[in-house]
Amino acid sequence: MRDLFLDILGTTGKKFINFVANIGHFFIFFGNAIYWALKPPWYLKRIFQQIIDIGYFSLPVVGLTTFFSGMVLALQTYNGFTDFNSESTVARIVLTSITRELGPVLTGLMVAGRIGAKMAAEIATMRVTEQIDALGTLGTRPMQYLIAPKIIASLVCIPILVLIGNTIGILGGYVIAIYKLNFNPNLYLYATMEYLQLIDIIQGTVKASVFGLIISMVSCYFGYNASKGAEGVGFATTSSVVISSVMILTSTYIITALFFG
Amino acid sequence: MKKRKKKKIIIKVSDLSKSFNNNIVLKNINFQLLEGETLAIIGASGSGKSVLLKNIIGILKPDKGSIEINDTEMVNLPTKLKEKILLDLGITFQHGALFDSLKNWENIIFKTANKEKMNNKKGKQLAFSIINQLGLQTEILDLYPSEISGGMQKRVAIARAICGNPKILLFDEPTSGLDPVTGSLIDQLIKTAVRTVGGSAITITHDMASVCRIADKVILIDNQTISWSGTPKQMFNSANTKIQEFIEPINSKIFFK
Ligand SMILES: Nc1ncnc2c1ncn2[C@@H]1O[C@H](COP(=O)(O)OP(=O)(O)OP(=O)(O)O)[C@@H](O)[C@H]1O
Ligand SMILES: [Mg+2]
Repeated sequence: MRDLFLDILGTTGKKFINFVANIGHFFIFFGNAIYWALKPPWYLKRIFQQIIDIGYFSLPVVGLTTFFSGMVLALQTYNGFTDFNSESTVARIVLTSITRELGPVLTGLMVAGRIGAKMAAEIATMRVTEQIDALGTLGTRPMQYLIAPKIIASLVCIPILVLIGNTIGILGGYVIAIYKLNFNPNLYLYATMEYLQLIDIIQGTVKASVFGLIISMVSCYFGYNASKGAEGVGFATTSSVVISSVMILTSTYIITALFFG
Repeated sequence: MKKRKKKKIIIKVSDLSKSFNNNIVLKNINFQLLEGETLAIIGASGSGKSVLLKNIIGILKPDKGSIEINDTEMVNLPTKLKEKILLDLGITFQHGALFDSLKNWENIIFKTANKEKMNNKKGKQLAFSIINQLGLQTEILDLYPSEISGGMQKRVAIARAICGNPKILLFDEPTSGLDPVTGSLIDQLIKTAVRTVGGSAITITHDMASVCRIADKVILIDNQTISWSGTPKQMFNSANTKIQEFIEPINSKIFFK
């Protein structure tokens, strides 16, 4: 009994120590990546390629998800509020839900799935096939050449994607409000503009930047530290998607609490 | 073997040991690479040849011992200084390690293009001037590494290593997986590359014919240490059982008579 207890304690202790060590390891990587992202010279061509990849090619999936979310919001809100003033209620709920929460979070999750997985797999494959080692022997620093462009591009793209996603989401709500609920377009637009608040946009942008940092850092970290073999690549990919998604959902709460709590 | 002139020591490995967890791979390795010399490292699969090379280029850190390149101690050298020394090294990895997101020509000129800006035309010309000697066609320049054969990838990796004429060449199995004709072409090229820049080379190989063609000195890694060293000629007359196992498949009379 005592042995079993000690055994469990030992294993748990070891896991815990490992966990703490990994967190420490992650923050060292984080600091390093920030340093190289800020330090010139930058590989502009690589940053540009990443911006196309992360920003441009994510547009369809981000647009689609936010558009439908806006439509669902409008539809559901209307069922719940059947008073005479429903134009402004629906418009307000769609607007605030999208700009404060759904726009950034859905965009973040979509990008985490699409780009985070890709980044992690790409870097992990490079690690496993010794391409990262080769980079170091060819007069480049892997952090500067490989990681920094991804961090920079994510920080540039994801806030912009969120702004676009927000607009499309609101448009989704508008489409339903006008064509399905037969609201008056002028009244609806007027209500939307009336409730549009700078603080919501700022909050959404802050969220987007934090998500951009989370996705790129977590994915690069797991890719960069992948262990040997195809298994290592798979592990890096799944871990980065799961962990960045969880971190997105956690941090969105924290940021909302900080702004409106 | 008397030397007329005392040659400069290019790489000096002293008392190097390396283990992974409980797996001791190398123990007290000592050897030198002299100027103008080509050193062949042989040894059974898994004996630690690649690990030794990775220690030399700083990808792995030895548990103990020292590595000097051109009289500079490499172990614990700050990254900035280490990078400077690495710039004068041409390295190939056992599995190529070509950048799969870059075209072959971009791979080949990677280090040079990193130092000096060059346009695509000039870059391709430079890449072509190298692959031309390696029996490769221009067509492969615009392809990605995944689109060419394994033997071609091997040669692109060698082209990447020798681009810019580095003085120290380190090859991990440059001729494995190549047909004998191409293999001997590569050997010839290594020899020329070493001679034209007055450089030195270390090559890891399982190919005894290649050892005879290019090596001035051979070391055998066995049982975690250097268990034999000498010239290729001495190798063929050696009574060492491990060496004999290695050269057995070859009729030594072809080479030394
Ligand atoms: N990164 C690593 N982590 C743990 N063990 C390793 C690592 N790299 C190599 N080893 C171990 O070191 C030993 C020597 O490996 P190495 O790759 O140097 O062999 P080798 O002599 O190059 O063999 P081959 O001729 O097959 O290429 C092997 O037992 C291997 O398992
Ligand atoms: Mg090897």
